[in-house]
Amino acid sequence: MKKYLTAYAISLQETLQRRSTLIMDRVGGFAVILSLYSFWTALLGDKPGFMGYTRAEMLTYVLVINVLRSLVFTGRGWQLVGEISSGKISSYLIRPLGYSAYALSLDLAQKSVHVASAVLEVALLSALTRGALFLPRDPAAWLLFAASAALASLLFFYMEFTVSCLAFWTSESGGPLFCFELFLTFAAGAFFPLDVLPDGLRRLLSATPFPYMAYLPARVFLEKVTAAEGLRLLAVEAAWLAAVVAVSRLVWRAGVNSYAAEGG
Amino acid sequence: METVRKYFVIWIRTAGMAMQAQLTYRLGSFGFLIGKMIRLGFFFAFIVAVFNHVDTVAGYNLTETALFFLTYNVVDMVAQIFFRGVYGARRTVSEGDFDFYLVQPCSPLFRIVFSSVDFLDIVTLIPVLVMVGVAFGRLPHAGWERYAAYAALVLNGVALSYSVHVFVAGLTVRTQEMENAIWIYREVMFMGRFPVDVYAASVRWALTLGVPIAVMTSFPAKAYLGRLSPAWAAYAFALSALGLIASALYWRASVARYTSSSS
Repeated sequence: MKKYLTAYAISLQETLQRRSTLIMDRVGGFAVILSLYSFWTALLGDKPGFMGYTRAEMLTYVLVINVLRSLVFTGRGWQLVGEISSGKISSYLIRPLGYSAYALSLDLAQKSVHVASAVLEVALLSALTRGALFLPRDPAAWLLFAASAALASLLFFYMEFTVSCLAFWTSESGGPLFCFELFLTFAAGAFFPLDVLPDGLRRLLSATPFPYMAYLPARVFLEKVTAAEGLRLLAVEAAWLAAVVAVSRLVWRAGVNSYAAEGG
Repeated sequence: METVRKYFVIWIRTAGMAMQAQLTYRLGSFGFLIGKMIRLGFFFAFIVAVFNHVDTVAGYNLTETALFFLTYNVVDMVAQIFFRGVYGARRTVSEGDFDFYLVQPCSPLFRIVFSSVDFLDIVTLIPVLVMVGVAFGRLPHAGWERYAAYAALVLNGVALSYSVHVFVAGLTVRTQEMENAIWIYREVMFMGRFPVDVYAASVRWALTLGVPIAVMTSFPAKAYLGRLSPAWAAYAFALSALGLIASALYWRASVARYTSSSS
């Protein structure tokens, strides 16, 4: 455990040291959220709500998504692809550590910094726009949201990890990974609530793990689900996570077995 | 004329090589292409779905909002197709390849900006252009001058985008890093997906006078819809001229300070 904590600490220092990269990343992310916030504000106009969301709830959805994007949608997929393709992964395979746990430590360090920045951005945007935020009154909603967001973060990490393992078999895994990430971001509700989609498509997506990564945690935060329903969703999310972790382990093992250290 | 022919031949050669690379990299290219289609499709579906519940957003109906979104895509994709080389500028500089560009009988700026062509965006651009045609067909009839203004302002937007790419290339040569600069531009460009009128006044001014994304993406559609005054159109062209001159000067100053990074 200590070695992973050390990896976390070093990665945290590195992320904080590369300040210009961090600031530029956040500026880009802030532009996206400002854009969506403005769109919804214009759409709502003088209306009290839209599709079952009050004005405060809809604008809060956008802001919560900013935090979730920083917590959930940052992985180590592209680094893994690069390390496999270049052969650098060899140096990790001979070390006394589990690669996925090591990668998760690095990812958590990056997430820590980005989530802290995202919370500051939300506070800034909220103050600038004087927008009324919806804050859950029930402490259970906060707990359920925190648990659901944490599971979502792991779910994304292991899903991306699994897709990135394609690099063991092909040097062209960048394309599928790009496609997967884009689809997942939309299907998770990280740009807009899935309620706006047609019923059929929404039902189809709800049978996948994708909405558990942004849309459902945001609904939990907005108290759109009861505590009992929230617990049920959390159990389903945990089941998805267990399944994805199992698949990622199988794929990783198969990938390492077929790995030929090309480029290394 | 001879110079134009020379650069056209160079561009054809480098574009051909880029195409061969993308055709060789079939699975990867297919994944990127599908990803781009997904992004386009989801955003379009979102806009259509939203307008099932409201009549207007910031005073624009569905077809008008779609025209803004599509115009953003036209400008962005044309820039992606032609100026893709800038995305690899950092590697070109840090690995020392830029030194070879400098000794070749060809403008290093031309090589660094136009050295790669993203053919996947050409494939994605086709349905976008078709949809622009459909949007024109659904909007009230407009005279030829509106179409001319639209086309001129789209080209103007591409010229502004070129200035930004040249500025980023100059920054890369000067600092030998800034790998994120072009991605920041891409992220900020996200704001161009919606009509500039959805933003608060201060943001609207910033997007028109500061980071001129509105000039690139919203002005063409506004001109077509007859909502852009001649003064703002003149401002757009003047801004592009200024941007082209300033970015060329910055590039020249950056190359003058270049000291080679790897040799």
